[in-house]
Amino acid sequence: MRIAIPKGRLQDRALGVFAGAGYKVPDDADLKTRKLVFDRGGIEWIFVKDCDVPVYVEHGAADAGIAGLDQILEHECTAYQPVELPFGRCRMMLIAAPGAPPLTKVATKYPRITRQFLDSRGVRAEIVPLGGSVELAAVLKLTSHVVDLVETGETVRVHKLELQDVIAEISPRLIVGKNFYRTEPKQVRELIAKVEEAVNVAR
Amino acid sequence: MATNSRYPTGVHPLLAEETARRRRIEARFVDAFSGAGFAEVVLPIIDYVEPYASLVDSTAAKQSYRFVDREGDLVAIRADFTPMLARALAPAITAGELPLRLFYRGDVIRVEASRLGANRELFQIGAEIIGDDSIDADLAMLRLAADLVSDPAIVYNDVSIAAVLIAESSAVREALSAKRMTPGVPAALQTIVAKLISGEATLDDVAPFAPEAAARLSAIGDALDGDATFALHLDDIEDIGYYTGLRFRVYAGAARAKVAQGGRYDTLYERFGQRAAAIGFTFTIDDLD
Repeated sequence: MRIAIPKGRLQDRALGVFAGAGYKVPDDADLKTRKLVFDRGGIEWIFVKDCDVPVYVEHGAADAGIAGLDQILEHECTAYQPVELPFGRCRMMLIAAPGAPPLTKVATKYPRITRQFLDSRGVRAEIVPLGGSVELAAVLKLTSHVVDLVETGETVRVHKLELQDVIAEISPRLIVGKNFYRTEPKQVRELIAKVEEAVNVAR
Repeated sequence: MATNSRYPTGVHPLLAEETARRRRIEARFVDAFSGAGFAEVVLPIIDYVEPYASLVDSTAAKQSYRFVDREGDLVAIRADFTPMLARALAPAITAGELPLRLFYRGDVIRVEASRLGANRELFQIGAEIIGDDSIDADLAMLRLAADLVSDPAIVYNDVSIAAVLIAESSAVREALSAKRMTPGVPAALQTIVAKLISGEATLDDVAPFAPEAAARLSAIGDALDGDATFALHLDDIEDIGYYTGLRFRVYAGAARAKVAQGGRYDTLYERFGQRAAAIGFTFTIDDLD
């Protein structure tokens, strides 16, 4: 079984879940090396950028992984999401510059989610895809609005921006690839049961 | 951006070796189909969009490559053989001719923007039995699919069970698609949905909701008699589409890739003017080892 761990924000807690579930996961010494693939306890752990976890799992290059709903939605990932994890909760929000004109231009790291949101509201607006520090687009008036994740709201406050609308409640999930789910039901059930238990204990 | 070496995304030529490989696989399928009494039909590569409008949902519609032809009509490149065969056959068949056993082969083009490779040209070969709603036809197609590849794993279910549950609450669809219980599932359905998600559900559990489907699956299970190739997955509700009953997927090879899918669509032909039950499957040859 190959499990994809998102590097960055969720990495430590994602590994914590699997460790809590009784899996032997790569330790700190392992992670200090520059390796991205580790065999531990009969499982291959791979470390990929958070936005790539759904891609690996969707195409079966990883059997399961931890991914935020933001990345799952943005990649239209169809993998199953059997366990919602109790950390890293945040919101996908529409954020405006103070005194912004009506929504005509919006910057985001999530063009697909933004497009769907705009369509659902019947708003015609141009999307400016950015790689990061999206709030800056509104601060510097590149766009009037941005769509981004809001965890504490600190970034938004610091930049004196305004939260306008909640697009989605975001949480990380254990995702399991469809082919793996259908062809290895025993392994899948065991994985889900263990992770579920670890999550319930942590709660 | 045309260059000398590039092709549009998702298409590529097959040179001699790859072509020989494809033809070998194709020949194996054609032999098996002929041996089982299936006759070949050829369907057009493009067709009008309009006749299919009622049965193609918006996701599926987005997957087809569409354009306006010289007469100003909206047409689509073939993305699915089954509705095309129904449209071609329905006006031409009489009840006396049924059942028919037919097969077809050729390319389909799917626009799958989120997948690896945006537009994809896939070579498919499929077979159908039209005008036979019996369990024997179900079994014949399941076994034929199993015989076409080595070491297959076939997962089957009946989509009408999920359809009944989803009709009561769309939250059931969300829960079954995510494989996680959600608060929106009505209290009366929570037990069955939880059992489906955990994989504990049995035919006895689903029988109160869909007695006919449960009885049919039970008969199919008995006939398959413990053959480990086949596994009943009651929670499998993906892509219900035009399917009305038995639904199955075939996995094969070391990577356990999905190589074929199929099922029963007993109401498809009447949408084109002729009532006829039908069951079929399609293999995507590119996915085969």
